[in-house]
Amino acid sequence: MPNVRLIPDGTRYSTPQEETWRERLRHQLESVLHLWGYDPVQTPALEVFNPHHPLAEKGFKLVDRDGTVLMLRGEYTTSVAQLVQTLPTPTYPVRLRYSGPLWVRTRDAELGRQREYTQVGAELLGVQTPQSDAEILSLALGCLDVVGLPKAAVEIGHPGFVKAVLEQTQLEPDKIQALRGAVHRKNAPELNRLLEQYGIAGQTRAAVLRLIDLYGSVDVLREAKEIALNAEAKDCLENIRAVAELLPPERFLFDLGIARGLDYYTGVIFQAYTPDFGQPLCGGGRYNAGLPAVGFALGLERLTTALGEAPSLETVYAICTAPQSAQRLRAAGKRVIGAWTDKQAELEQAALAWGVPYLVLGDVALRLEDGVRCSVEELCS
Amino acid sequence: MQLTIAIPSGERSKKFALDCLRRAGLEIPDLTDSRSLRLEFGELTLLLVKDPDVPVYVDVGVADCGIVGQDHILESGRDNYEPVDLGGNKYRFSYITLSNPPARVERVATKYPRATRQFLRQRGIAADVIALGGKIELSALTGLADAIVDIVETGRTLQENGLVERERLLELSTRFIVNRAALKLKAATLRDLIHSLTAISARIPA
Repeated sequence: MPNVRLIPDGTRYSTPQEETWRERLRHQLESVLHLWGYDPVQTPALEVFNPHHPLAEKGFKLVDRDGTVLMLRGEYTTSVAQLVQTLPTPTYPVRLRYSGPLWVRTRDAELGRQREYTQVGAELLGVQTPQSDAEILSLALGCLDVVGLPKAAVEIGHPGFVKAVLEQTQLEPDKIQALRGAVHRKNAPELNRLLEQYGIAGQTRAAVLRLIDLYGSVDVLREAKEIALNAEAKDCLENIRAVAELLPPERFLFDLGIARGLDYYTGVIFQAYTPDFGQPLCGGGRYNAGLPAVGFALGLERLTTALGEAPSLETVYAICTAPQSAQRLRAAGKRVIGAWTDKQAELEQAALAWGVPYLVLGDVALRLEDGVRCSVEELCS
Repeated sequence: MQLTIAIPSGERSKKFALDCLRRAGLEIPDLTDSRSLRLEFGELTLLLVKDPDVPVYVDVGVADCGIVGQDHILESGRDNYEPVDLGGNKYRFSYITLSNPPARVERVATKYPRATRQFLRQRGIAADVIALGGKIELSALTGLADAIVDIVETGRTLQENGLVERERLLELSTRFIVNRAALKLKAATLRDLIHSLTAISARIPA
């Protein structure tokens, strides 16, 4: 048995190859967010446990020295919204981005799902307009493009629409809840059975049944008009239409039957998918955390799983016996390592094994491929 | 378009699933003698997985869709779309005890611990759930458990072992389930399949 300590389920060691890749992806994403004007923030990984937190049941709990229950950060949105309220006189809208590890205790570790995982995300706070929703949606797409997922599509929904259409039935909350569950699973037989059982008929019944089939291109927004019978449903539809108008139609899908997060999201909601990967790469939407806001987060592990293998490590450029030569090359932006022994044969052997092109002996560079010599100056250029 | 379907490997459930897919118009050759776990026919891939694992393969997106009994869907707690009731063998989740049950139920044995916990909670029964691999009836007969929650088809095994079906908790059937991303990205293919399956399910004999 190799002497490796066990690590908890759903956590990972990240190899140099993987971490180099993760670092690069994070950097690419952060650069996009930076260019869109989002400033970085960080929140404590240790949070004071709050039973009303969206992940209160699912988080890892710890006990502080005075007995206070703490929870490991399980998502960023809640704490970023709190952080904003501590900023000295912010001028809204505020654009913030974040990046870091999160922990979810109750999750099963499996393909694309870890209990310790990393999110990169952005929040646009203190504004509630179609333009701000569209900005976050476009930004999410920009992030997927920069990491090399040009076929990814973003799917937009509006849980408020589902809520409004279900309220057209004028049923009691527990029955609405049951209908909502069936809509969420696009469970046509169950929905039919429930509507029958609750005695819902005619136009109202037809509207609820249509909900689960309203997914696809932007055309579904037009079809949805037929089932928007009350003012709330019409408002939601108008809202999502106003957002859609600001977006290029070819990369966006719509599903007016999205019923998740009904109690949390206050406007549009979205997830992004890429072909042949069955899990969302990112998710977000409009919410209210003391102030109106819209945001999204990408799961870094989802991205790497969807993208496939980590690219090979960048080899170093040279092995240098003289520290001065190494310093000059580094100043020229070359990645070089110092010699760890006087034995030239050992250095050459290592260089060949790693694919390092040059061995620099004193101030003379030796190209290992063909034995040609040149000066350190020449290597610097 | 490439489509991967997870179907249950259990003899009876496999036969039913293949039957449904063929009737829905998919061209699948005779698999009676095949031992392959992954079968490819042009753009179609079939994965033969253990019945309870079908919802897992679909949820993580290894399969785009699948066919499986509703008991396994409930027990898995997975968040898949469930658009078609394929009918098939009608069976039910039931709460079962001896004909002279103990005054107080403290332990309930089942193959479906997750679903059972949910039922017990809904009915306010504060009992421990004992997860067993099969032949659940024996646990009630031997005193390992005071009651059992299991699927019942005809009820014959129960009768022969002196057990009584106290409550039918839920009627069950075989369902077609779909991965959330796949439904959207392979919308045309899957919409067609859903419509065909819905159309034939009305005609499948029970």
